Amino acid sequence: MKNRRQLLALGSVLALGTLGLPAYAQQPTYKIGYQLPLTGNTAQYGIDFKNAAEIALDQFAKAGKSFKVEIVFEDSRSDTKEGVAIARKFVDDKSIVGVLGDFTSGVSIASAQIYKEAGMPQLSQTASHPDYTKVSEWQFRNITTQAQEGPLNAEWLYASGYRKVAVIAEQTDWGQTVVSNFADKFKALGGQVVFSEFFNRGLADFRPIITKIARDKPDAIYTGYFYEDGAQFLKQMKQLSVTIPVHSTSASYNQQLITLAGADAEGMKLTATFLPNNPSKNVQDFVAAWKAKTGQAEPGQFPAQAYDAVNIMLAALERAHPNVTRKSLRDQLAATKNFPGVTGDTTFDADREPSKKLVRAQVKNGAFVAVEK
Amino acid sequence: MNASDTTSRRWLWTGLILTGLFVIVPLLLSLAGRSYFYQIANTIMIFALLAASMHLVTGVAGLLQLGHAAFYGIGGYGAALLATHFKLSFAATIPLAGLMAALIAFLVAVPTMRLVSIYFAVATLGIGQMLHVITLNWVAVTKGPNGILLFGGMKLFDIDFSKPVPAYYLVAVIVAACVYVIHRLSHSYYGNALRALREDDQCADAMGINTPRLKLESFTVSGFFAGVAGALWAHTAGYISPADFNFNVSILILSMVVLGGLGSLPGSILGAIILIGLPEVLREFKAGDFRNIIIGVVLFGVILFQPRGLIGEVSALDFIRNQFGLGRKARSDGKQMRVGWL
Amino acid sequence: MDYYLQQLVIGLSLGMVYALVAIGFTLIFGVLNVVNFAHGEIYTIGAFAGLLLFVSFAPPLVVVLLVVLAVGALTGVGLERFAFKPFRRFNDEATLKSRAMREATLMSSLALSIVAREGIELVFGSQFQSLPLQHMLNSPIKIGPVTIVDGDLIIFGTSFLMLAGLQFVLKHTSVGLSIRAVSNNALGARYVGIDTDRTIAWTFAVGSGMGAVAGILVGLYYGAIFPAMGFTPGIKAFVAMVMGGLSSIPGAVICALIIGISEALSSIFVSSVWQDLVAYAFLIITLIFFPRGIFGGARERV
Repeated sequence: MKNRRQLLALGSVLALGTLGLPAYAQQPTYKIGYQLPLTGNTAQYGIDFKNAAEIALDQFAKAGKSFKVEIVFEDSRSDTKEGVAIARKFVDDKSIVGVLGDFTSGVSIASAQIYKEAGMPQLSQTASHPDYTKVSEWQFRNITTQAQEGPLNAEWLYASGYRKVAVIAEQTDWGQTVVSNFADKFKALGGQVVFSEFFNRGLADFRPIITKIARDKPDAIYTGYFYEDGAQFLKQMKQLSVTIPVHSTSASYNQQLITLAGADAEGMKLTATFLPNNPSKNVQDFVAAWKAKTGQAEPGQFPAQAYDAVNIMLAALERAHPNVTRKSLRDQLAATKNFPGVTGDTTFDADREPSKKLVRAQVKNGAFVAVEK
Repeated sequence: MNASDTTSRRWLWTGLILTGLFVIVPLLLSLAGRSYFYQIANTIMIFALLAASMHLVTGVAGLLQLGHAAFYGIGGYGAALLATHFKLSFAATIPLAGLMAALIAFLVAVPTMRLVSIYFAVATLGIGQMLHVITLNWVAVTKGPNGILLFGGMKLFDIDFSKPVPAYYLVAVIVAACVYVIHRLSHSYYGNALRALREDDQCADAMGINTPRLKLESFTVSGFFAGVAGALWAHTAGYISPADFNFNVSILILSMVVLGGLGSLPGSILGAIILIGLPEVLREFKAGDFRNIIIGVVLFGVILFQPRGLIGEVSALDFIRNQFGLGRKARSDGKQMRVGWL
Repeated sequence: MDYYLQQLVIGLSLGMVYALVAIGFTLIFGVLNVVNFAHGEIYTIGAFAGLLLFVSFAPPLVVVLLVVLAVGALTGVGLERFAFKPFRRFNDEATLKSRAMREATLMSSLALSIVAREGIELVFGSQFQSLPLQHMLNSPIKIGPVTIVDGDLIIFGTSFLMLAGLQFVLKHTSVGLSIRAVSNNALGARYVGIDTDRTIAWTFAVGSGMGAVAGILVGLYYGAIFPAMGFTPGIKAFVAMVMGGLSSIPGAVICALIIGISEALSSIFVSSVWQDLVAYAFLIITLIFFPRGIFGGARERV
């Protein structure tokens, strides 16, 4: 009796196996390359991207699609030399149909030259250089550029009654766009930019700048920094008892900012595309998966960007399936419309730039919360 | 060994190197069928030129140079600006970029010539950092952190050299020519004068060698070749930004020169091959996060077991002495050992 | 006026930070005449050691400083054993002064610093470490029109203690006597029976201990502890040492202060991105007028 049941079970497993096998064998695997800094000074961002990408890939595998996807991660160290070598490597591998990354605009653009020549779709989650998508029709990004964010912030600050604003940003291609896009709109509205200066990323001591800003007595400070510099800036402002309201961009959106700056971060306002306390299901799923995988607090803006980039790529693959080539993948990426990501709905325009809805947020009681004004 | 023997041997070596560079390596790379290897080969050649140019100042003349990346950067920016702003052709930008770097190197060298040993090293460090700050922040000219995109490609006589194989040959020809010039310079009367400077500059001075002028010249020539390397990088990469030319690059080039062996041109080139090649080899072996640690360990191991570098000048001298049966004699009286590095 | 005063005070505290690093750096250079590229990593290791202590035991600051001092001293001795001692296999004058030895140790210390930095990065990640905020040394103190923080006072006090302690050790102990002897003439010291290897190990212990204490203090001061933190202070300390004339510790401290002040004051007139340019221009000008550093004129050229 017992034996028979076991035999039966075995038989059914075998039958299922033989039935399932042809379907399984036909299931193609597509490869995506991901170049990102896993070592070096910017490794913290790359490692976050990798975690986010693996979450997205896991969820995709569990969804039981008719094809499989593999991501090849390569460490670029945010170094152009290594970035272009990786780009060549990805291009050589005929099974790789699309590429994600890199983190910095510089490495992304240098690699883009190779992807352009070889015809490989490239989607960067963070490259914000204005010229990046202009390299060729193969370059995409899903991060909102300052061309969108700057004017929005200008309107917000102006509507808050600020007329004299000081602007500081890091001395990078991104920082340059932070200042120019904001200042242009703010001046057009009739406001006044009384102070505008850059700083080198990783500057230890902001106090000389803060003292200088305080002397100009602006109504508010608009800042373009990532969370680490942001935490330093806010702490040192408090140290010098400078109490001018601070506004920032989505790039400083990271729970670590509050961990590092503590109470000194209280009150900072910023625009964001991603808020982990957004009740929608995909955001909550991502936040839960992130916490389970990394054991950290809520994910910041950048991992969310990477998560969306991977999912946009996967969705494009699905649309291109079964005729997946680099060309068809590019066309399907370009056709991305209202993709429901955790950083909002992404649609690529004719210039392969995303447009997304930005929300207003503020640090209140140690958390980022959505605010009206 | 008579003179004609030496000559024929020299020709043999030259022939071997040239066939290796222009026939065997491309053949192997093409068999592998991957543009990735060409990319690595290009990077190695450009850094070999950088290491060779630093070899002239640091290896031969013995002036520790901590800001070499600055001249590399001037070459890169010079070429990029000439190509984008003034629409100069590829062929024109390479020598002009070299001349620009040489000019800046000359201007830098004039006030710092009097400095000796570590003071000179720190002065080059300071100047390197200053030039980096300037490229990063003089937005009006260099576009600052935005970097410069070169859309022109590498066109020579209307032939496009942008594809991996032609680019390889183009870079190989230019680098080989430059390295040959450096080779001739460092193995001539001039090179020996520089060595005299390295061994004891006061003594060289006393013997009638115009040391400040020599320093000035070697520094300028070295700047020229670093500039050419920068121009090659700008054209092959198609995009440059200040981050490509920071202090870490100076240290990387210095590591190549010391790893290969101070005073030895083949050593410098070997150093470039190892320090550019090794990270990529380790990437193949999935060393992942341990890549850079392994590089540090290798660097340390080489210096520990081979303090003069892999093929340093003195090891070579020892080798020759042994060949001529002078080795034991040199060891026994001790003082002979002071030729070269010790 | 208050504004300029405030900038001056900020510059002073910035300079004190550089000085703190420069003391150990100069001590080691003075004895061996070689650049220790790993000093910046000792500084980082000190900061991380202190951070681990705070996170796991939360002891009082003084205890942390003492433990970090010990950790730094041990690391320094280890560093000397691995990166410097192997190159002193030959004990003749030629080797002690040879350039090859100097360049080899330059590289070996650089190689070890790469290993240390990448190792820390592998374990902790390259981000700013989160530090329990109550341990930070940045509570503001108002003195008339200017604001300083308690960290400024602690850093000033520590630098002063270090300088005084070092002066005492160098002038009034037998270890100090042998350090001075080796620094002056290594071979001569050897001939009169001083154990140079031991003396050099002691120098590394003292210099690196100070470097490690500097690391944790500055880490707490800015609340920024991360694997690459040793880079900028390391370079600035190097520059200060050379400006000061290589072997003069008070000279290095004064030049570190000059660099700090010139950075802060320069940001009055130009954008802060140019402050490094001002600091390095200062270095070049100094070297043009004082080719052997401001306080190094008396020393015989080696």
